[in-house]
Amino acid sequence: MSKIIVVTSGKGGVGKTTTSAAISAGLAKRGHKTVVIDFDVGLRNLDMIMGCERRVVFDFINVIQGDAKLKQALIRDKRLDNLAVLPTSQTRDKDALTQEGVEAVLNELKEEFDYIICDSPAGIERGALMAMYYADEAIVVTNPEVSSVRDSDRVLGLLQSKTHRAEEEGAEPIKAQVLITRHDQARIDKGEMMTVEDVLEILAVPLLGIIPESPAVLRASNMGVPVVLDDPSAAASAYEDAVARLVGEQVEMKIGGERRPGLISRLFGRTA
Amino acid sequence: MPSNDTKDRGARAAADIRPFQIRGRFFTAVSLRPESEQQDESFFEALDDQLRQTPQFFANAPLILDLEQVPGLNGTEVLRRMVETLKQRNLAPFGVQNASGEQVRAASDLGLINITTGQDAPLKAERRQKAIKAVRQTPAKTKTITLPVRSGQTVIADEGDLIVIGPVSSGAELIAAGNIHVYGPLRGRAMAGAHGDETARVFCTRLEAELLAIAGLYRTSESLAPEYGLQNVQAFLKNERLCVETLG
Repeated sequence: MSKIIVVTSGKGGVGKTTTSAAISAGLAKRGHKTVVIDFDVGLRNLDMIMGCERRVVFDFINVIQGDAKLKQALIRDKRLDNLAVLPTSQTRDKDALTQEGVEAVLNELKEEFDYIICDSPAGIERGALMAMYYADEAIVVTNPEVSSVRDSDRVLGLLQSKTHRAEEEGAEPIKAQVLITRHDQARIDKGEMMTVEDVLEILAVPLLGIIPESPAVLRASNMGVPVVLDDPSAAASAYEDAVARLVGEQVEMKIGGERRPGLISRLFGRTA
Repeated sequence: MPSNDTKDRGARAAADIRPFQIRGRFFTAVSLRPESEQQDESFFEALDDQLRQTPQFFANAPLILDLEQVPGLNGTEVLRRMVETLKQRNLAPFGVQNASGEQVRAASDLGLINITTGQDAPLKAERRQKAIKAVRQTPAKTKTITLPVRSGQTVIADEGDLIVIGPVSSGAELIAAGNIHVYGPLRGRAMAGAHGDETARVFCTRLEAELLAIAGLYRTSESLAPEYGLQNVQAFLKNERLCVETLG
């Protein structure tokens, strides 16, 4: 039974596309057949982060409109056999996404893939709503700062009201988890950023992982390599832990970075 | 000429005092609808039976004869007998409905008018069911929410109290005609007594609200005294002021 997972956030620039690339590559690395779809019509970036921008011929919108077959638009990753990318159009806009078209493409992808990762655009308009509509699970990407957290909260509200699972009688609600990215313990200690506990208290959903702020993320993006396929880094191992949790493994939550104690010991340090 | 003058004035006076007024009137009439053309003893026995059950309702009631089911009942004599029998029973037939041309002529001989408008009293079954359904759908007075209320969401309890079990995020709105209870941190806006109920209150187990309002009087987080922050509080109106108090 394949799973549709939307990567969403509300706010822009928090790391949705980076996360979509890392999570999908991480799942493929574990042997799951995975496809990642770019829903950010008009502002396509996923193909660059995945390093396949020069191989794009047909795109998601072509498939929706019947101008191309899904097979023609899917780009197989050269590093991992199990991984495919469905890029989007740079010249169209979000109105090109129709609910029926999206559903048809997702249904066709379900036949081949175990995991379908939907990289949502920022905002809460059509593109974002289409990306989340058919999702089974959601990864809500949040930076530890107030505006990002508030936007994530808004998106969690939409996930519980404006999706197929929300509208269908008797369906389980979307399982939403929060992924905290750009976590910087030094800035949190200085009071410039929110703590993990504060974020979770406001969002009131389970934590999927904490990705540290790391130059490795930017470097990997610039090179078109998902961070988990690049050289080992704190961010890469944090993403790998998040993928493990996503498939149901129990992995201890670590605060990444070089010299940080684990969350648990820090929690005890605080409350004691 | 003086006489003419007087006449003139008289005419003017007549114009000032109008001899009559015309007003529209609506009233309820009973319609009697014979189902069979056999006007025998059993018909009148059944009618008497009905009249005995509710004598007040039918006494001198304006009555229309609905002739839809009895097109054969068309002789003036037959109708006259019917009308006289009804009058003996203290009913006041004044018109006929759904009558054929011959029936209309016979009726007008008897001084009955032909009525062409009006709706049959028993409503169609379908419409009646709808009305009952609407009554059943009336929401319960208290609305209870057991999920977190997220930023951008609005929860309205239009008739009574609103109870939220879980956090209310900043950017969320709670509106209730009655009281608002939040078992969790209240970080959004809460507006109680939305229809003007000044006795409504807001309760929460942790006050971090952006705005509290009762019957239109409000305070924003800026003017909420900081000592109540993060505490278990209630807000209420006293002398037209919004007061906040910690709860034991």
